[in-house]
Amino acid sequence: MTDQVQHVKVVVWDIPVRLVHWSFVALLPALWWTAETRQMDLHFTLGLTMAGLVVFRLMWGIVGSTTARFSRFVAGPKAISRYLKAPEDNPVVGHNPLGALSVVALLGLLALQVSLGLFAQDTDAVDSGPLNHLVSWDTATAASEAHGIVFNLLAALVVLHIAAIVFYRIVRKNDLVTPMISGRRAFATRVAQPALGSWIKAVVVAMLAAAIALWIGYGVPPWGAKFPWEQTDTLQDVPAADSYM
Amino acid sequence: MKKLYVIAASLMVLPAISAVAANPNPAFKQRHQNFEAMGKAMKGIFDEFKKPAASLAKIRANSAVLAQSAQKVGGHFPKGTGPGAGVKTEALPAIWEKPAEFKAATDRLVTATAGLQAAAASGDMAKIKAAAGAVGGSCKGCHDSFRKPKD
Repeated sequence: MTDQVQHVKVVVWDIPVRLVHWSFVALLPALWWTAETRQMDLHFTLGLTMAGLVVFRLMWGIVGSTTARFSRFVAGPKAISRYLKAPEDNPVVGHNPLGALSVVALLGLLALQVSLGLFAQDTDAVDSGPLNHLVSWDTATAASEAHGIVFNLLAALVVLHIAAIVFYRIVRKNDLVTPMISGRRAFATRVAQPALGSWIKAVVVAMLAAAIALWIGYGVPPWGAKFPWEQTDTLQDVPAADSYM
Repeated sequence: MKKLYVIAASLMVLPAISAVAANPNPAFKQRHQNFEAMGKAMKGIFDEFKKPAASLAKIRANSAVLAQSAQKVGGHFPKGTGPGAGVKTEALPAIWEKPAEFKAATDRLVTATAGLQAAAASGDMAKIKAAAGAVGGSCKGCHDSFRKPKD
């Protein structure tokens, strides 16, 4: 392990980052397919799972391992142009300044797409997102249309993402896929092992994210909806049959 | 001079063309507005089911809209208002090819919405929910057979 001469292997991607990443890979096509075939119940379940994962990743980007933190890898135009001029000068452990843009764009669009879906509705106004009842018909219609447009943007970014991976593999001879599976990446020079977020922290953040997703799925009670354990129907106005019409 | 004639002629012809394009069969617009009103009313009812406290008054008002609009649907598809009339429509040719089935579907809607209005009058939330579900089923049933699926 103390062999520092060549190919120092460090963990660049922790398990939460890898799990979230490959879940996105599985969920995105599944979400597209369930929408395409109008399996809306499944689409809602998968969409809320996606929401939970996005919330987790955003929180993990604040408190997680150093390579997962936005503050550590999001860089300005200066750093990006410096990287583009001499990409091999300093090995980057984690996202390079250009790749950071891709992470921010993909995560941002996923967050936007999930948010739009919460308010969207189908044409019968029966199969609707869990927060659809809190907005007007026109807002919901706009959200539904945007939900379709943002998906196309997302698909385009995924294509770009994959193209970049292929470019790095063929032109740069740099395999980005294996580290996203194993977590480990070899470096020719000695680099510091990034600080990894603890298991306990990951579990706590995951539970928090799941709770937020569930809460949204139930229509943000008590303001937007009843709690699921409140079974009886509460009527705002007392029914009075004789006063009707 | 010749140019002037062309411009003058265009000025006379253009309004005529746009008048034709702007005046399709009024059934297109009427049915679109009617369906949109029904969609809004459906959302209005299902919104109340999800809210912390449902407003019976809103449910009743929206069921009345649904029951009224439902009766118009059958008459909103005269011959020549299908696809190919030059107006963007999601109506499928099946409406005119299978008139008996289409009539059965619109009758089902009228019955379901009348049922919902009756349930709303009773004020029994369990009945209202079941009746609203039946209306949703009749919407979907008709859309599945007679409406172009969304891309």
